[in-house]
Parts: sequence; structure tokens; C-alpha cells
Amino acid sequence: MINHKSKLRYYGTKLLIFLLSVFLLSVLVFYISRLAPGDPLLSYYGDRVEKMSVAEKEWARDKLGLNDPIYVQYGRWLQGAFHGDFGISFKYKQNVMEVISLRLGNTLILGGIGYILIFVLALGLGILCAWYEDKWVDRVLCRFGTLSCCIPEFWFSMIMILIFCVTLHWLPSSGAYSFGQAGNIPDRIRHLILPMSVVLLNHPWYYGYMIRNKLMEEMRADYVMLAKAKGQSKATILFKHCLRNVFPSYISLMAISVPHVLGGTYIVETVFSYPGIGTLSYESARFADYNMLMVLCMLTGIMVIFCNMLGQIINERIDPRIRANEVLESSEVSSL
Amino acid sequence: MSQLLEIKNLTVTVPGSGGTVHAVRDVSLTLRPGEVLALVGESGCGKSMLCKSIMGLLPKSARIQQGSITVDGRDITLCSQREMRRLRGTLMSIIFQDPMTVLDPTMTIGAQIEEAVAHVDKSLSKKQRHARVLELMEMVGIENPEERSRLYPYNFSGGMRQRSVMAIALAGNPRILLADEPTTALDVTIQAQIIDLLRDIQQRLGTATILVSHDLGVVARAADRVAIMYAGKIVEIGTAEEVYYDPRHPYTWGLMQSLPALSKGKESLHTIPGMPPTLVAPPKGDAFACRNEYALAIDYEQEPPMFQITDTHYAATWLLDPRAPKIPCPMGGGLHG
Repeated sequence: MINHKSKLRYYGTKLLIFLLSVFLLSVLVFYISRLAPGDPLLSYYGDRVEKMSVAEKEWARDKLGLNDPIYVQYGRWLQGAFHGDFGISFKYKQNVMEVISLRLGNTLILGGIGYILIFVLALGLGILCAWYEDKWVDRVLCRFGTLSCCIPEFWFSMIMILIFCVTLHWLPSSGAYSFGQAGNIPDRIRHLILPMSVVLLNHPWYYGYMIRNKLMEEMRADYVMLAKAKGQSKATILFKHCLRNVFPSYISLMAISVPHVLGGTYIVETVFSYPGIGTLSYESARFADYNMLMVLCMLTGIMVIFCNMLGQIINERIDPRIRANEVLESSEVSSL
Repeated sequence: MSQLLEIKNLTVTVPGSGGTVHAVRDVSLTLRPGEVLALVGESGCGKSMLCKSIMGLLPKSARIQQGSITVDGRDITLCSQREMRRLRGTLMSIIFQDPMTVLDPTMTIGAQIEEAVAHVDKSLSKKQRHARVLELMEMVGIENPEERSRLYPYNFSGGMRQRSVMAIALAGNPRILLADEPTTALDVTIQAQIIDLLRDIQQRLGTATILVSHDLGVVARAADRVAIMYAGKIVEIGTAEEVYYDPRHPYTWGLMQSLPALSKGKESLHTIPGMPPTLVAPPKGDAFACRNEYALAIDYEQEPPMFQITDTHYAATWLLDPRAPKIPCPMGGGLHG
């Protein structure tokens, strides 16, 4: 229905906004990281920094290019970035991308599976509560959810470690796999159980509650009355009509919540010393590992911006109302 | 049994924050197959609640305090929701007030009509269902049904949407059609078209219809019988001729005098003084008494019973008591000069 040219313009605009946001993000992160307190030499030389003379420190700074004005440093970084060179990590003395690529898989497993499970669970919870509106199932789930999603992740993680690792010795408390067991899937799963449970006990309630409220709002809409008058069953009305009306907002919610879930994963990773991007970001920020921090922030940022835009695009494609104006323009509309 | 629908002493209450609302109070009426009964009254007098009780679509909190609704010899106040679901669409259908919100915005018009078709006859193939959808759309006067069935509600104007809602209501050839203010949300020019269409279809299919409106003028062209409702009660009921030419209840007089056509040449439109009473605590005696310039002392004390005027014409006002003073209808007229 939308013609080719306007479609091109639509996606062109989106791409432009995307690139602009990414550029602004990179400038901001670059400046903030360098203006914030913290000594990058500490991450490069470790404890030896304390024994270095002022001249030695100056020499090291010069060598790492940290004495130039920030915009010069940024220009250099940008130039490198365009050639795929993001510099070396001060801490690991390795190419940043290499370090990240070793960890990325772990985060994708925890975050990715967690993310999918969160939203499947949330949808199920929301539907269940809306179906049993104000019955005990709904009440119990809502109370429990409010409680468990208010518990901070780091505290919750520690309690879990205390119970299942320290006291019961059932599960490992840290890492993604036992030493030398990287390919051992059952071992990996055992390591995943605790972090994953923290993610899953913390997040779905919030989204499930949103689904529940949206569904209940829809169940009171006028079109539900007509559907009832047509003789439709409660299940048909809930699944065919209401869910359909809720879905666009759920999809965009899913996209927009990526940063939230990602942030949660980072925290959980840090507490469980899970070797993923989260632990890495935490370290890089703490030790002023500029190049590493830059790439991680850009990765996370691009993901967030991309997901928000994706949410918007999906939303517009699913919900016919949003496109109404375009259709009104392009096709003659029948009035009475 | 000659009556298709028989409501006896129906009382419906809805608990609210300010107290229990007596939405429908002791209403009795009948509907014969194929006739059009107009239900006229001010906003909030219980017309919609009455319709919803017939459909079994009352809000969860509402209670039928007493009375029965007998449709085709069966008291539907005793039916379970599951049984009601089976009756809806086939035995009775409803057209709602606001066509802008009653259609599912995310589903094509065709799919929404098809749902109703499928509910009525589950044995139909997809092709047969589609054919029936097109037939229904044509019947309610939607041109190019093939093309339009693939459009969404937002593509349609208010009149077209109301026609689609009518198509949905008519999908199961219902024996009773409830039209709950079907034209209130529409343009004046479209109103007449929709009423004519309703009348036309009603005559073709022989569907008994309850046409709810707050406008005596709107229903004049369609109704066989007219019931006037005030504060949850029916105050006058009779054939259209009787009610229009020989109204007996002072409230009906007030409504008639408020018609713009009767105010021609006058400075301003006639209005009925005051506001309808809240139905939280219905007043003692006649609810209309305090707005009634002809009110008698007894009106404040005791509710008037239904006085019979002819076989078909009844009115609830003490003015019809033999002891009451004779008050001529203020508009003049009357059936016999």
C-alpha cells in the first residue's frame, strides 16, 4: 500500500537518525570516559604504577596518546574505527575485539536465552492473570511478582549463592564452566542455572503485569461487548481479539526493554563472575580501560538504539491504525 | 404462543460507589414476531440496561433483582452464560450505539462479519462463509463488498461502520434485533438512511425489533409500537398512532412538545423543566412528579399503576384515575379530534 519511493525515504530517514545517534553516543562516551576520574595507567601497568616516577608516567601517557587534547584522541579513534581497528585493551594488552569475541558468546547465551524466556513467561503470566482476573490465582501471582521484582538483583544473586552454593553445595557459584570444560554442555548448564534463575525471577513479573493490565483494559473495550454479542467465547475474545490488540505494544515493549534486560544481565554476570560482556564492561569502567569501554558502550548503545527503532518499525507494520494516515493519502477512501 | 419476547416485572440494580442504582424498575413489556417496538426516553433512564439484560450482557456487578425475560417460551434470566452464548446471534442480536468503537480495530471488516457467520453455522466451508459475508454486506448497503471486506474499520466512515455492525447483527438471522440508539453517534443525514435501512431489512426478514432512542422524531418513521421510559420505568406504551396522536402521560406530552417541529414559529424550543432523578434512591411516588406541572398530591405519595386506555394503550399517571381532574393534552389533537 505504501509506494516504493516513500518506503525508501522512510527507511532512509530511519538510517540517518540511527547513524546520527550512534555518532553522538560515541562522542559522549569518549568525552565522559576521559573526563571521569580514574587512571588508565593503573589498568595498563597494574600495581607497578605506584613505583613509577613522574617522568616515567609522563612517558607512558605520551606513548598511549593520552596527552593529546580529547578531540585529537577522538579523531584518531574514529579513524581507527573506520578501518576496523579499535585499539588494544590496556588491561589485557590484546586487541579489544579479540577479548570481546571470547566473551560475547557467554553473554549471548545468558542474555539471549534469558530474554526469550522472560517474554514467553511474561506473556503466559499476563494471560493467566487476565483470565483469572481478581480470582486467587491472579492475586497471588501479582503479590508475589511485586515482591520478587522489587528485590535488587545483586542482593538476590548473593542470597542464591549463599543458599545453593555455600550451604547446600548444589551448584557452582561463579564462572561459565569448570576449568577446561568449555565444551561440556551439562557443566555449562549447571553454571547457568543460578544466574538464569535470578534473571527469570526478577524480570518477567514487570512485563507480565503490563500484559495483564493491557489485556484487562482491552477486555473492557466496546469491541469485546460486540464480540460477546456475536456469541464468541471468552477464549476467542481473549486470544483472537484482545491479544491481537495488545501485541503491537508488547512487541515494542520487548524491543524497548532490551537495555533493561541487558543491564540486569550485566549485574548478574558481575555478581556471578560470569565471563561475559557485563563483567568486562564493569572492569573496563572501573580500571579506565578506555578502548575496551568505548567498544562495549558502542556495542550496547547500538543494540539499544537499534532495538528501539526495530520496535517502532514492527509496531507500525503490525498495527494498522498507525499506518492509517498513509493509507488515507494513497488510496481513495470510500465514504457512505 | 403469540409473544416472542415477554418481560415481566424486571428490576435490575447496579451497585455503585454512591449506592445501588436502580437502573430498570419493574418493567413489563411484550414483543410480537415481526413488530418494531420503539423504546424512548432520556439519557440514563435505563434503556440500554434493559437491552443488555435481554442480551445477557449486563455488567458483572449488575443483578436482576426480580422478574423474568421470556424469549420464545424460555426464561433467559435462568440461562447459564454458555447457553446465552448459543442464543446470542441467532435468537437475538444487538446493534450498539457507537460504531466507532465497537469494531475490533485490528481486524478486517470481512473477518469480523465472518466470525459472526461462523458462530451461527459451524458447518460452512471457508468459501461459503465468505459468500455469506458478501451477501450480508450487500444487504446492509455496502457497495463493492468484495473489496471492502478486506478493509479495516478505520477505512470506514461512521455510517459504513454502523452498516457493518448491522451486518454482524444480522448474520444469524436473529428473531429479535435490539438496536440500542443505532443513530445517536451518526450525522443527521446518515441517521435517516440507517433508520430506513433498519426498517427495510426488518420488513424483508420479518425480524422483531426493539429500537431504542432518545428522539421521538427518529423512531416515528419506523415504529409499530412505542414505549416511553422514565427513571427506569415504562410510563406509557401503545401503538405508534396512539402515542403520537393521543399521548396521555405528561412526560410524553413534554417529549412531544420538545420536538423541534412543534416549536415552529416560537421563540425557543420547549423543554421539560428540571433533571431526571438519580436512580440511586428513586423518589417515593411518581418519579416524574417534581417536573410535572400537572402533578397531583397523590403523585408525591404513591406510584401510579398502569391505567389501561385501550387494548394496546397503557399509561402510568394518576391523571387517568376517574377521580382526577380532566386535563386536555396541551398539544391539542387526540385521536378523535
